Amino acid sequence: MQSKHEWVMVLSLALIAFLPVCPAAAAAPDAIVVGATVSQSGHFSSEVGPFKRLMDAWAEVVNKDGGIFLKEYNKKLPVKFVVYDDKSDEATAKKYYERLATVDKVNVLLGPYSSPLTFAASTAGENHKIPFIAICANSPKIYERGFKWLVGVIDLGPRYTYRYWEMIKAEGKAKSVSFVVEDTLHPQGVFKGSSKLAEEAGLKVLSSEIMPADARDFTPVLTKLKNFDPDIVYVSSNIPFGINFMKQAREMKLNPREIHCIHHSGVFRDPLGESAENVVGQSYWVQGMKLGDPKLIIELLEKSKVSEPMYPWAPAYVAAFQVLQAALEKAGTLNNDALMAALKGLEIETVLGKEKFHETGYGSINTYPSQIQEGKYVVIWPAEVATGKRVYPRPTWK
Amino acid sequence: MTADLVQLLAGGILLGGIYGLAAFGLSVSFGVLNVLNLAHGEFLMLGSLLSYCAFVQFGMNPFVSAVLVIPVFTTMGLLFFLVLIRPLGEKPHHELLVASILVTLGASLAIEDLTAFFWERPVTGIDYSLAPFEVGGVVISSLRLLILLFICVLAAGLQVYLRRTFMGRAIRAITQCREGAKVVGIPISGVSALTFGLGVALAASAGVFYVTLFTATPTMGIPLTVKYLCVVVLGGLGSLVGSVLGGLILGLAEALTAYYAGAEWSPCIAFVLLLTILIIRPQGLFGTET
Repeated sequence: MQSKHEWVMVLSLALIAFLPVCPAAAAAPDAIVVGATVSQSGHFSSEVGPFKRLMDAWAEVVNKDGGIFLKEYNKKLPVKFVVYDDKSDEATAKKYYERLATVDKVNVLLGPYSSPLTFAASTAGENHKIPFIAICANSPKIYERGFKWLVGVIDLGPRYTYRYWEMIKAEGKAKSVSFVVEDTLHPQGVFKGSSKLAEEAGLKVLSSEIMPADARDFTPVLTKLKNFDPDIVYVSSNIPFGINFMKQAREMKLNPREIHCIHHSGVFRDPLGESAENVVGQSYWVQGMKLGDPKLIIELLEKSKVSEPMYPWAPAYVAAFQVLQAALEKAGTLNNDALMAALKGLEIETVLGKEKFHETGYGSINTYPSQIQEGKYVVIWPAEVATGKRVYPRPTWK
Repeated sequence: MTADLVQLLAGGILLGGIYGLAAFGLSVSFGVLNVLNLAHGEFLMLGSLLSYCAFVQFGMNPFVSAVLVIPVFTTMGLLFFLVLIRPLGEKPHHELLVASILVTLGASLAIEDLTAFFWERPVTGIDYSLAPFEVGGVVISSLRLLILLFICVLAAGLQVYLRRTFMGRAIRAITQCREGAKVVGIPISGVSALTFGLGVALAASAGVFYVTLFTATPTMGIPLTVKYLCVVVLGGLGSLVGSVLGGLILGLAEALTAYYAGAEWSPCIAFVLLLTILIIRPQGLFGTET
């Protein structure tokens, strides 16, 4: 009996002695906490207003199977979002990202909408060493600061319409272009890249008009454009500016062979009605495109009741979710350094094609030229992903 | 070149008409009540959104909406006055002005935030257009011309109202001398409430045309109020003719500046004009010295 007790004691001591050196799963947190702001109010709400629903829909899809598997904890962890309304305001966005980092203590930050907001908000990631994934932000200025904790899903703004200029060069129909540019960060960035690309495509740049974002009267610019008579009028602006320009362009019978508005979503199309017909713009994704596996986009759009033509940035957000999931799975931990390293070295096929980050942080996903034809969006270039043919020249307004 | 200039003048005048209509409501409430209504742009925004709903739901023509919003927003303005402005009571002149700025600014922010919260479509515009016509190489927008005509008719109607009716005369009497009007038995409180309502209704009516020509958003109110304030000061506080002409001058100045100096200079011309007028004629073009 005594010897039995002795054996138990020896065994217990041995277990206690060996316990610390045995490999075991680290204490797992309750969830992967993702912080973000969405412009639910303010002028960018026209672009991303309901995207909290998109985030919730993705979390629901991922959490349905238990979450994302992280090797360090040897289990799946559910995804939990903490989201604030940044009111489309830089200072508010910056304030909330600081809060997400310090009060909510999130594991990873998803960027706000637009370059100016991302420029301001991304300092939170850098200050607190938290991976920051920018989504719809492509100003080169964001990536010229040498930030180590920042990657961005999409390609740089100056290349935003490079496929359009490839098409112009390949088709060789248009010979001249005039630019109308909204004086804000993203449209300016797109314009700077596009004016170079237009010249490289062999086009003559006839004029470039920079206008304030709240411009309402386009009579002076339209009068000039009618005198120049360019083949292409290229409007680099956000949606409200584009709508106001198009309304007055029709009122004044401006009739170039093509009008390109870089943002021409459903929010742009609906108030313009017929005036939006044949306008060319840029799309990340259009239903029917031969690009990536569309299942996740379709599922999330349905669940969140977000319509892709109305909110064309939704696919870029879906790609960002895929990037986040892939990086977490690759890192296998919520350790910030490991997660950031996994992000930087990531190379995956997303719903919008291949994603790989440049050394400075920006991504490789870019848009395709699309045209509004009978109220529908038709991708017109390149042939391998196109869903229809370009109408050029556009029928003139009577 | 001449055709370009005529085109610019036509565009500037058509734009200036909208400025004039919107500014008049602001001018009249300041002139009569000494209340600077910083929520003016919010009422314009609400008029835009209501007109949008009427157009989308019932296919209502914006010109019909512009008339129908007048009684609706007069009532809204009356309520706004009774609840928020009247309690400021008989404060001394300068205190009332400061208090009204604070109260209406607060109301403006509240209206903006509530609208942004509930309004599903953050950028709103009406797909309504009329075929333009061309005279000697100058393209005139039929829609803008009709709007300008409507504004002229409305301005003429208001002029008749202010000159021929008891209430109109009472409004003018208060503008000229508040104490004198009180002495001769004009019901200051009632007339003030109605005047405020009228100012709000004019803002809403301008909002109907605004959304027909441009995009409307829940956050557009305060910047518009600032611009219309420039028009009011330019034309002279409380002056109907001054507001309309101030609007036309600003519209023309913006168009000519954008064409000859570059579009980026156009927004600052309002403030250059404002400073110039304040230096040369502080009471505005058609204002009277007090």
